[in-house]
Amino acid sequence: MNLLIVGIGGTFGGIVRYQLGKMISQRAATTFPIGTFLINITGAFCLGLVASAGSGTVYLLLGDGFLGAYTTFSTFMYEGFHLFQGNEKLNALTYIFSSLVLGVIGYAAGFALGGLFLK
Amino acid sequence: MKKYILIGSGSFLGTICRYLLKTVHFGGFHEWIPLNTLMINVSGSLVLALILTVALEIWSFDPDLKLGITAGFVGAFTTFSTLCKETVGLMRAGNYSSAISYLAISAILGLGAAYLGTVLAKKLGAKYFRKKKPNHKPDFLMGAESEVK
Repeated sequence: MNLLIVGIGGTFGGIVRYQLGKMISQRAATTFPIGTFLINITGAFCLGLVASAGSGTVYLLLGDGFLGAYTTFSTFMYEGFHLFQGNEKLNALTYIFSSLVLGVIGYAAGFALGGLFLK
Repeated sequence: MKKYILIGSGSFLGTICRYLLKTVHFGGFHEWIPLNTLMINVSGSLVLALILTVALEIWSFDPDLKLGITAGFVGAFTTFSTLCKETVGLMRAGNYSSAISYLAISAILGLGAAYLGTVLAKKLGAKYFRKKKPNHKPDFLMGAESEVK
């Protein structure tokens, strides 16, 4: 049963990531992977919110399921590697460093905010 | 529509695989670093780079199926939000050196895996598919050339 709940959340997380990433990258006029960047940071913030509310079925559906699949590490690394290969070293380092720092801050902020309102 | 069904089913399976692997106990460094997520993310980075390079340079298969595997399965299998959650967890426990190491190791091994996947796909392509390598020229271009002649 848990597997099904996690899987259903993940199905929507993956589709929303694809659609949103496509929409953002069509509008953005830069080599910086702004789509994955925004998706990962908003996802980390939302996971903080969800985690502050507890660890039951809701966390399985929205945390492990939806947000786990909505955010992605493999595309993040592939894009970072490609920036390095394309000799955009500064862009690559900025992308990787700022994603990680803002992701961690975003999660902590979401968790703190959720602690104020969701408990 | 077919594209979304494939991305959705890929994500379904990728998320379930991540969830199952999350609970496996490998033993060893768990107190120091969240090993499960690290392995999931690094192996996913390798597979993504491998498949994308294969699709680009060796064998261009159905683009919808490619999206189902890459954006769907591998994208949902790997996760960024859990990495942030675990890092904050280490910081809250006072393990700042573990938290920083976890982020650094994830990024370094992830980039290394993306590099390895790309190189591996190119090597495989050169070894087994040299004669089958598709012509990158789109059909309409080839048509235009023959008209010029």
